[in-house]
Amino acid sequence: MSAETNFNGLDPVTFEVLKNSFITSVDQMAEQILRTCYSFVIYNRDFSSALHDAEGNSVAQGTQDIAVHVGTLHFTCKAVIEAFRDEMLPGDVYAINDPYAGGTHFSDVRLIRPIFDEDDIIGFAQSNGHWSDLGGSVPGSFDVAAKDMFREAVRITPIRLFHGGRFCKDVANMIAANTRDPRSIIGDIHAQAQATNVAERDILRLVKKYGRKTVVDGMAAVQDYVERAMRHRIAALPDGVWETVDYIDRDPAAGEGMIPIRVKMTIKGDKVHYDFTGSHPTIGSIYNSAPGATFSAVAAGMKTFFPDLPLNSGFYRIFDITAPENSVVSAQWPVAVTGFLMPFEKIMNSIYEMWSKILPERAISCSFNLEYLLTGGLDARTPEKPIFMFYDWLPGGWGGRNGKDGCNVTTACFGTGLMAQPVEGQERVNPVLTTKFEIKRDSSGPGKFRGGAGVEKASILLEAEKTVISYICDRERAVVFGTNGGLPSMPHGLSIYRAATGKEEWLGSVFSDVSIETGDIFSRPTAGGGGFGDPLERDPERVREDVIDDYVSIERARKDYGVVLKPIDVELGEYEIDAAATKAERADIRAKRQAWATSDPQAISDKYKAGELDAMDAVRRYAVILDWDSGEVLPETTAQFREMFQKRTAAHWRD
Amino acid sequence: MASTRVAVDVGGTFTDICIMDEETGELRIEKTSSTADPIVGVISGVERAGVDLSQVSMFSHGTTVATNALITRRLPRTGMVCTEGFRDVIEIRRANKQDLWDTYKDVAPPYVPRRDRLTVPERIDASGKVITPLDKDAARDAARIFKRRGVKAVSVCFMNAFVNGENEKQMRDILLEEIPGIAVSISSEVMPEIFEHERFSTTVANAVLSPVVVDYTTRLGDSLAKKGYSRDLLLLHTGGGVMTPKSVKDFAARLAGSGIAAGAIASRHIATLCGYPNSIGLDMGGTSTDVSLAYEGVSRVTKDWYIEFGYPIRFPSIEVLTIGAGGGSLAWFDEAGSLRNGPQSAGSNPGPACYGNGNKTPTNTDANVVLGRLGTSLAGGELILKADLSTEAVQTGAADRLGVSLHEAAEAIVKVANANMADAVRLISISRGYDPRDFALVAFGGAGALHGAAVAQELSIPVVIVPPNPGVTSALGCLLVDIQHDFSDSFMVDSASTTPEAIEAGFQRLEKEAVARLVHEGVAPEDITIGRSAEMMYQGQWRSLAVSAPSPVTDVAALTARFHVEHEREYSFRRDDAPISFFRLGLKATGLVPKAKLKEHKPESRKPEPKLFRTVWFDEKPHETPVYERDDLPSGFTFKGPAIVEQFDSTTVVPPGTSATVDKLLNILIHIKGA
Repeated sequence: MSAETNFNGLDPVTFEVLKNSFITSVDQMAEQILRTCYSFVIYNRDFSSALHDAEGNSVAQGTQDIAVHVGTLHFTCKAVIEAFRDEMLPGDVYAINDPYAGGTHFSDVRLIRPIFDEDDIIGFAQSNGHWSDLGGSVPGSFDVAAKDMFREAVRITPIRLFHGGRFCKDVANMIAANTRDPRSIIGDIHAQAQATNVAERDILRLVKKYGRKTVVDGMAAVQDYVERAMRHRIAALPDGVWETVDYIDRDPAAGEGMIPIRVKMTIKGDKVHYDFTGSHPTIGSIYNSAPGATFSAVAAGMKTFFPDLPLNSGFYRIFDITAPENSVVSAQWPVAVTGFLMPFEKIMNSIYEMWSKILPERAISCSFNLEYLLTGGLDARTPEKPIFMFYDWLPGGWGGRNGKDGCNVTTACFGTGLMAQPVEGQERVNPVLTTKFEIKRDSSGPGKFRGGAGVEKASILLEAEKTVISYICDRERAVVFGTNGGLPSMPHGLSIYRAATGKEEWLGSVFSDVSIETGDIFSRPTAGGGGFGDPLERDPERVREDVIDDYVSIERARKDYGVVLKPIDVELGEYEIDAAATKAERADIRAKRQAWATSDPQAISDKYKAGELDAMDAVRRYAVILDWDSGEVLPETTAQFREMFQKRTAAHWRD
Repeated sequence: MASTRVAVDVGGTFTDICIMDEETGELRIEKTSSTADPIVGVISGVERAGVDLSQVSMFSHGTTVATNALITRRLPRTGMVCTEGFRDVIEIRRANKQDLWDTYKDVAPPYVPRRDRLTVPERIDASGKVITPLDKDAARDAARIFKRRGVKAVSVCFMNAFVNGENEKQMRDILLEEIPGIAVSISSEVMPEIFEHERFSTTVANAVLSPVVVDYTTRLGDSLAKKGYSRDLLLLHTGGGVMTPKSVKDFAARLAGSGIAAGAIASRHIATLCGYPNSIGLDMGGTSTDVSLAYEGVSRVTKDWYIEFGYPIRFPSIEVLTIGAGGGSLAWFDEAGSLRNGPQSAGSNPGPACYGNGNKTPTNTDANVVLGRLGTSLAGGELILKADLSTEAVQTGAADRLGVSLHEAAEAIVKVANANMADAVRLISISRGYDPRDFALVAFGGAGALHGAAVAQELSIPVVIVPPNPGVTSALGCLLVDIQHDFSDSFMVDSASTTPEAIEAGFQRLEKEAVARLVHEGVAPEDITIGRSAEMMYQGQWRSLAVSAPSPVTDVAALTARFHVEHEREYSFRRDDAPISFFRLGLKATGLVPKAKLKEHKPESRKPEPKLFRTVWFDEKPHETPVYERDDLPSGFTFKGPAIVEQFDSTTVVPPGTSATVDKLLNILIHIKGA
């Protein structure tokens, strides 16, 4: 028997049965939540559930859970145990949403139930859901201008919501009263509390069948199993040190220049160490991550390279983290952290990049940046003018891979179970009409294996009053990057067409509380994934196929891939590859591209302002980052971007 | 005079034919190899069985033609017309992935590639108001382009068409003018439900399948007619009823799971006849096992159903869970040294090692041969298994690796397969709130009866039912169903602001449509029955819950009271203070098909002799075990395990410690001790 098939004294069949039963019990919680929840955010699968042992360690996650939550659930469970250790009763349910105690952000509210077998606690069931609103200064509780938590939302430190089965109406009502959507909040409390009840029943069924000791041993065994398997695999890899840096676009409270997140990974024996030394201090926006979320980002990034193992606390035992105090990856109370997903995804993509070198068969380039849009005000379509909150998020392109293009229009990497919302549902409940929700042509980062395609969504505000719009995104400047010679994709950012002036305004990737009027059209793309490998090595036949499907335009086929196509019959999708012209075009690009990527940024800015080139040309060809509205060069940002471009892209060209 | 019923189930390996004499209720079976064109196999099987098609009163059929076409993407070129700005709804989907962590495991591509999705200016808002009329010139251009491309079908998928289908209908008219006779599916008719991806995905599946199944049913219908069959061909659909070829063109996607539903229906029916309204079907074939569940005589039906993740087909469908565990599933070791079983399979060619066709990796069949559970002569002697090759495969492929004896290794292989099947049963029972101890397990398919008792023991299921012809049970399912269609319509309104009259009017609109369709299919009005349901939710919730509704509806409060009760039963809480919304009204319309009764056999006191004794291994010990011939076992016969029962298409294992009886329908009931 190998090290991976010894199951803490349980026979292999019992072990297998319990392992699967634990996961099934968590999935049953998910099923119940989906069917009974009120928050549409939860309904679109922004939730997760977990089963914990009596110490609060995670035993099992659900099969469709959000990655970002999973790595933090054991922290909040332990925080609740700490607070109520000797006072817990059967039928109790506690709530917590505290990012400074290991949570993610205030919107993610966790309900936790102790599982009693007779008089003893043998475990906990936790249900975490993203509530539609938790108060604060803007609808949806995402104020990007907040510098501390007092403007953000209600902070829930561990509280009791059910006392021995009795609903603590007073406490629940007080929380609900501090939000814009009290009825949904009470509904979701019931839905989540009942979901934890489902897991409790299931675990007690197992206790009845196998006995308490076997079930409790099983909870330990599944963690030990994952730990052993991981140690086994890490030990089989050569020791070494890998380093990389990724950036947040800016500190709105400071000058131009991107905010570095530095990661150094050391593999030694059967352990992995992640060191964030050199990462920037916390910044003057909500784009900071508290230690719990950073931990979860590391876990999620690394887990991606070991997809076959279950995720539980056993996995967490094989790595540790060093992070400088009060840095953008280790914010403390009361620094604002609601936008923690911005550093989170940078950490994930950094970890992808380092592990791609160790396990090239799973290599992947950078994926698009998640984005949230919130528009809220009064819906004036009916005389009652109720409050509305249009809260939207989009899928985008994932990075190109080793031997495979990236996935088109996929949900953000922080949680691949999250679902895009149906436009028809949005239009029923909001005074918003969507005019376009479609794949964005040429959004993919070019590469031998291109990134997946992003999308473009445009919506018009119908009859509404007192309406403001906020946007939470990034990678307008730290543009989605390619690797192994692949090119970046394109900048993120939102623009508004103003009905009153007939003009389009570029608002970029981070703003809040901007007024918006009836008839205004707000639109934004999501980036495609970064390319993998040199685009000049892409098979021209694949470029032709992409043009037939209109993922790539005939113009950019030439610019990005050096592939020259002649339209024969566009209606029938017939294009011919001009082999001679393609050969010449590719030779020409090879001869010039190193010089392009180091040319004077000012000249690029001038051409951009004159309309002679666009943002895709600027980032892909010249590695220049501009203020996309004014066209001015961002010198510090461009220098940082070019350093990355040289290392990840230009250095890999065999020109 | 027509007095015979014929049911045909075409599977991947075999075409099963079940012939029933209406007078006596006696069944005959015929099994023939499936052919590349399934119709060849069907007709040759019918001929081999000596059926005179002019004497057949009902010919019903379950087919995997549609399922296979979707999975293999062997689909006719199909166009899709979308609202301008919404070309990619079916590619964007809901953007989620089935596998959370594996970045190299992709969701399958959509059924219609981007190049064949065209857009036209048109738009309807959420209230159903036309804010942009259909641009007729653009519509005609699209039709013309599709014609040039030679597409065989077109789906029309416009935003908010579930509230107002006018623009879609205009688009269809233009398509039919430009491309006379083309199959057109429009979303407002195929699945008039809110949420564009789910509606479009169903519509697109319908469009791509329409030419496939129309061609198939027409050719089959013609072939049968040539041989004298004069009635309608009945086709089993995923919802568990049958429909006639007249509905196939418009609702082709209802056949997407036709073959899968047959086994579930048969299992439910057999268990109900045995007095077990709660049953779990375990249909184990050569490469996979289908698990289904019936509670109180009703199969579980779901609308969250797909052939491939990401592409929902929202027609109500019998819930069947398929896992890769079959007789031909390969036993192998993963990187961690753990013994695994399936989903890779040796299929029927090369098949298990004992077939002697070159496969050297042990399969479940080989393990069963080594253990003596499976004899070496199958299908009435047509298939001879080479036991020495099984022994060699299990020895080198498992025993040597595990460092255990040959028989221990064979038992380990079978145990892992059984554990995988037990997991699937748990998923469909325990995780849906059903306790397997309250159920009977119906074990069928070629290999179900070999493993059924062990799976039942693992789950404490008290009784296993092995039908008389386990290998052709699915075909029997096709004989037992009524013509059935499902209808639904959006009805999104607060319970406080609606009236019984409004609800009644909604149901009556659906009923008119339902009756018209059944009459069109030749059902006499007196044979039509209709069941109503209303989907409701607490205001603010996102999923609805269906409760049955009376006819006529006279009281809204009675419906909301029913909803509270159902919500509490299903989710263990209710909110009497919370307002309730209606979401959708639904109908199940059934055209009753007269059922023939299966023949009952009087109990006999005769004690049949085993045809031989064989050494069979259980729990690592050899047992001298009687082997019976199934045809010898009379109604009323009771025997104890260990025992083996062999028959033409299957082998039943009755393990030590269990007892078995043969009932009046000649089912074997295995009683699991201590369960």
